[in-house]
Amino acid sequence: MMQKPITEIIIVGGGTAGWITAGLLAAEHNVDKGVLAHSPKLNITLIESPDVATIGVGEGTWPSMRSTLSKIGIDENDFIRQCDASFKQGSRFINWCKDPQSNVANSYLHPFSLPHGHQELDLCPYWLPHAEQVSFAEAVCSQQVLTQLGLAPKSIVTAQYHFQNNYGYHLNAAKFSQLLTEHCTQKLGVIHIRDHVSQIINNQHGDIEKLITKQNGEISGQLFIDCTGAKSLLLGEHLQVPFLSQKSVLFNDRALAIQVPYSDANSPIASCTHSTAQPNGWIWDIGLPTRKGVGYVYSSSHTNDIDAQKTLFNYLGVDGAAADKLEPRQLAINPGYRAKCWQNNCIAIGMAAGFIEPLEASALALIEWTASTLAQQLPPNRMVMDTISARVNERYQLHWQQIIDFLKLHYVISRREVDGYWRDHRESNSIPDSLQAMLELWRYQTPSQQDISYKEALFPAASFQYVLYGMGYITQLPNHVKPSMQQLAQRLFNDNQQRTQALAKNLPSNRELLDKVAQYGFPKL
Amino acid sequence: MSQHVLLNSIEHKDVKVMTHRSAALGDNLWYSVTFPQEFRSVQAHYPIFFHKDTATGQFYAVALFGFQQNDNVFLSEQGWSASYVPLTVRRQPFLIGQQTVLEDGVERQQRVIHVDLDHPRVSETEGEALFLPYGGNTPLLDEVGEILEVIHHGLQDGQRFVDALIEHQLLESFTLDIELDNGQKNQMIGFYTINEETLAGLSADALAKLHQQGYLQAIYMTLASQSNVRDLLNLKNAQG
Repeated sequence: MMQKPITEIIIVGGGTAGWITAGLLAAEHNVDKGVLAHSPKLNITLIESPDVATIGVGEGTWPSMRSTLSKIGIDENDFIRQCDASFKQGSRFINWCKDPQSNVANSYLHPFSLPHGHQELDLCPYWLPHAEQVSFAEAVCSQQVLTQLGLAPKSIVTAQYHFQNNYGYHLNAAKFSQLLTEHCTQKLGVIHIRDHVSQIINNQHGDIEKLITKQNGEISGQLFIDCTGAKSLLLGEHLQVPFLSQKSVLFNDRALAIQVPYSDANSPIASCTHSTAQPNGWIWDIGLPTRKGVGYVYSSSHTNDIDAQKTLFNYLGVDGAAADKLEPRQLAINPGYRAKCWQNNCIAIGMAAGFIEPLEASALALIEWTASTLAQQLPPNRMVMDTISARVNERYQLHWQQIIDFLKLHYVISRREVDGYWRDHRESNSIPDSLQAMLELWRYQTPSQQDISYKEALFPAASFQYVLYGMGYITQLPNHVKPSMQQLAQRLFNDNQQRTQALAKNLPSNRELLDKVAQYGFPKL
Repeated sequence: MSQHVLLNSIEHKDVKVMTHRSAALGDNLWYSVTFPQEFRSVQAHYPIFFHKDTATGQFYAVALFGFQQNDNVFLSEQGWSASYVPLTVRRQPFLIGQQTVLEDGVERQQRVIHVDLDHPRVSETEGEALFLPYGGNTPLLDEVGEILEVIHHGLQDGQRFVDALIEHQLLESFTLDIELDNGQKNQMIGFYTINEETLAGLSADALAKLHQQGYLQAIYMTLASQSNVRDLLNLKNAQG
């Protein structure tokens, strides 16, 4: 029994997490060179409750989504056309550093491209002495300038999923789930059952043996994947894996989301997420070709829902009768994560494992990581499953610690004074020790890859550099620089500047490129 | 700048077109679009490669005339030194336009001849007339009409040819490194050719299908045309 090969996979939940997992598992195990095997190795069944609506506001991805889609076998042109997708080159943070009244230019970009020449040299220490003249992002990366010009990350001659500047997407989450559903069921042989799981039955070892559904009776499997969202039906409710709340570190527990049409069908489409700090949280602003997705994420301990709505409407510039017509969707967030994502023969992916807040859009990235890790490390049988689940859990915990430290960093180094929310974020008892220690270190040296405690972390040292110096963090100047290194750095700075100018001249705007994708599509090579 | 207008025998009765080959008339091209119907003639003189249209990202076949922009090694004081000039070069200064006409009350798209009045070939004094003094087309204009018609169908077929190449993963990018006798080096990027390994590995079914479509011959002519790179190099070196 314990040595029987694992072939029966049951996924519960039909949101983005469930379908990405189904797609990556099928692509890894059942497909060869784009062709589905005649007798697939795995039987993958996805059970989606017709009674439960998916959240559907996850609209920002990382560049990792390009390789995920490519692995699953989705054509980039189909994806962009069917999911109303646009190109995202990073996040611009507005008013995070200082109170908006301070009248100081107050925005910075966390771009998706790593600093220019990162394989040769870490430019950060060489930029420090020039901090007054040029922002870090502009000194080392083209995307600061290009996103301000609203330019796309590539041109129509660039092959599918290739890039000139690294990019992810903004997308319509509901349409994305729809595309994944069709692709997985029609091309990848995933079985789709629309039914409600009413009971979960264990075997004598405490593993999940089968699910009882309303219409389809018993569905048994060898590995169960919990993609049931915040409900965490299998891992949380059934297997009782404890939930670790992070509310004392990251306070946001509510969101108000709304879709906003463009004033003009040809309005420019922003090529990065705009994230604007507010008195008690921040507002995301995402540009799709057809509309914008805007939402206020805030702390209910610091403001109430009525005031939050006013803040959102104020951002949108609507009031009076126009505001009465708007009906933002209210979402509750319980910031935190399960102590493990994998218990016995059940792994949770997506919000079923945890969710903190949409800042830096790490949710989809963590889904992609967990799903592709599972696909690559799928245990051959139950006997060795615990060995693999232990190492996946270990890495999962490291990811969460890093996400928490990195998100908290955005608040801790803010110098906003007026509102209690921002001051509370700087209370030392709300700051994880690991972050506290790093902040102390970064007073004397810039973040380096050595500060990242494990390989293949979600956020590289460059992300910490972009945020720290975007927000004006002060690091002591290096007291000795080798002249040869200084010369190399100067060459790389110059290269970056020339490259940026050339790209600014040649790249189309985000909307121009999307129109061309609609008409011609990117070439396959 | 260009000024494309619908050609008609009244407004353009005095328009003349210069038909000799020279850089001043816009023949200093380093490549031009081609398509399978003329591959047999093209491959006798020029290397055939593939290139992406910068406006659309779509692939098309090109006949190569030189190694860098504005450099056509076939062009000299004496004109164009090869006996076959690709149709997309010969069509200048004319192009195909679409016109909506009413036929028995039904709207229909009709192909018409447009002319670029700002093209250096166009003149009122020099060159060959397009219209006869008392009405009717000159042989030149009739020929232009035929060329444009062949190009129109040729490009459509060329699109299907490229689609078939992509479907069978037969296109691959390559970099052409050129070194002239005078030591000057040139690197040509952005060109694509047929992947011979993939071609050799195609199944009998795939080959039969390509053959049926008439594209197998076009593929081999493309491959054979590569030896013309040497001829281009010789011409370039001879220019000194």
